Amino acid sequence: MAITKFDQHAMAATFAEAGEHDSAREMLKNTSAKQQQPQKHAQAKKPYLATVILGALSLTAYYYIFSNETLVTDVFTRGGSYAIWPLGTALFVSFIHGAFGSNLLSVLGLEAKKSH
Amino acid sequence: MRKFLIVLIIAGFLAPLLSSSAFAAGAPPKDILKGVFTQVDAQQRTVSFTKDGGEVMTLTLPEKMALEEVPLNKKVMIGLDKHAGPGVIKEFDRMFMDMTMSKVIALLLVGLIGGLLSGFIGSGGAFVLTPAMMSLGVPGAVAVATNMCHKFPKALVGTYKRFKYGQVDLKLAAVMGVTATIGVQLGIQMQKYILNTYGNAGSNLYVSVIFVVVLVLVGGYVFFDAYKLAKGDGGEKVSKLALRLQKMELWPMMEFKVAKVRISAWVTVPVGLCTGLLAATIAVGGFIGVPGMIYVVGASAMVASATELGIAFIMGAWGSVQWGISGLIDIRLALLLLSTSLIGVQLGALGTTYVKDYMIKLVMASVMLVVAVSRGAMIPGYLAALNLRAPLDHGMAGFLDSLSFWTLVAALGLSGVIITVAMVIGMMKDRAEKKMATVVSHG
Repeated sequence: MAITKFDQHAMAATFAEAGEHDSAREMLKNTSAKQQQPQKHAQAKKPYLATVILGALSLTAYYYIFSNETLVTDVFTRGGSYAIWPLGTALFVSFIHGAFGSNLLSVLGLEAKKSH
Repeated sequence: MRKFLIVLIIAGFLAPLLSSSAFAAGAPPKDILKGVFTQVDAQQRTVSFTKDGGEVMTLTLPEKMALEEVPLNKKVMIGLDKHAGPGVIKEFDRMFMDMTMSKVIALLLVGLIGGLLSGFIGSGGAFVLTPAMMSLGVPGAVAVATNMCHKFPKALVGTYKRFKYGQVDLKLAAVMGVTATIGVQLGIQMQKYILNTYGNAGSNLYVSVIFVVVLVLVGGYVFFDAYKLAKGDGGEKVSKLALRLQKMELWPMMEFKVAKVRISAWVTVPVGLCTGLLAATIAVGGFIGVPGMIYVVGASAMVASATELGIAFIMGAWGSVQWGISGLIDIRLALLLLSTSLIGVQLGALGTTYVKDYMIKLVMASVMLVVAVSRGAMIPGYLAALNLRAPLDHGMAGFLDSLSFWTLVAALGLSGVIITVAMVIGMMKDRAEKKMATVVSHG
């Protein structure tokens, strides 16, 4: 990709030297348009707001569960159909807290390698 | 697609036939009572016990049990001594330990590294989480149930992440997941047979020997393979065994597009069954599932470890339903573990995009070998219990116990360090490459 761009610049220079100014300009326009795309991507905003909102939601859920510890542990361990409570809570937390974790890693600049 | 559905349907029919309940690492105990002690009668040595649901019972305390040991108004689980007469307590455990700051920190830390390991090699964490919880004072059954309840959401998030990176073969995960669930049933039947024939010590010895033999052999081979690859160019080659098995045209043939494998169900099904068998025996099916997918099915370490997360989700969800119905999940512990493991699993998953295949094998092999040492330390005790060797003195037994536990912790710590270092090196290399590319383009 980088080499291609370099080649295009060199070609544009050659065309310009040969007096083909319009063609040279056209080539440069193409490369500069392509160049702007990754820059835009690199400067993509980090998900600060989503991280804060999901973090607050997750924290609230944890707060309510732990502040009602006795009730929660009693109801969640009654067995039978009450199994829906621990399983549902675990799933709910996995969505909210999992999404928070994903956004947190993005905010910290930890992203997967793109080319892999 | 049709063959895939046929295998799934057959497996689905077989699963409930084999047993009425499924779970990894043993069965939820059936003969326990859950509720609270409300009153103690010191003269009669009886206690009033209110069962879940409100029924009040009067139970007798065994002679060896001190009255002060009975916790009032705290939820307990009780095992009755059927041979001593009706309503005689054999043992009881407090279901919910008191939280202290050090326990919370320990859980958060174990959750984070366990998650990191899961995200990276597809399984792990369970081998240390259950004993870690037990050492914090959680009853064994609650520790297994809680670990299961924490495992499936973690595996779900990990699977989602690695699916996004194009590493999960959902079809392979489904086939392996269902067959492994059946394998778990078979494993439990085998465990029951051994327990009935050779007793508790025999069963423990069987578990430990299987554990050590499988982990040393498979872990040793994976380690050797990772070493060979690291010395070469780091690229992965499909094993000769897998290539030979892929050539076998035995109906029904299955095609796994992400794994880039076309292989007979007669190969994938036994690998799934063995994964389940091991899961029922030592609680970590991934130690056989991932190497099985790599060396027998022929998937890459990257796809195998990612697919294992999908299998862990299927098995974990199925097991959690069973343990949830038994009412043994301590949601507080599960949530504390999840609070860090959901971040760890995503970090481990993204870490795989920065490393070569052999690094996944290296981490997995290292963990397997250290865990084998931990379990091996328990064998002298079990041999002594079966009178197959001289009894261990008190000091030695205590030493072996703590050696076993701390080796597990060391395995987890070691894996955390290797993954972090490999990931940081990979990220630095990637940044350096990007910088170089920018310099060339501006040059």
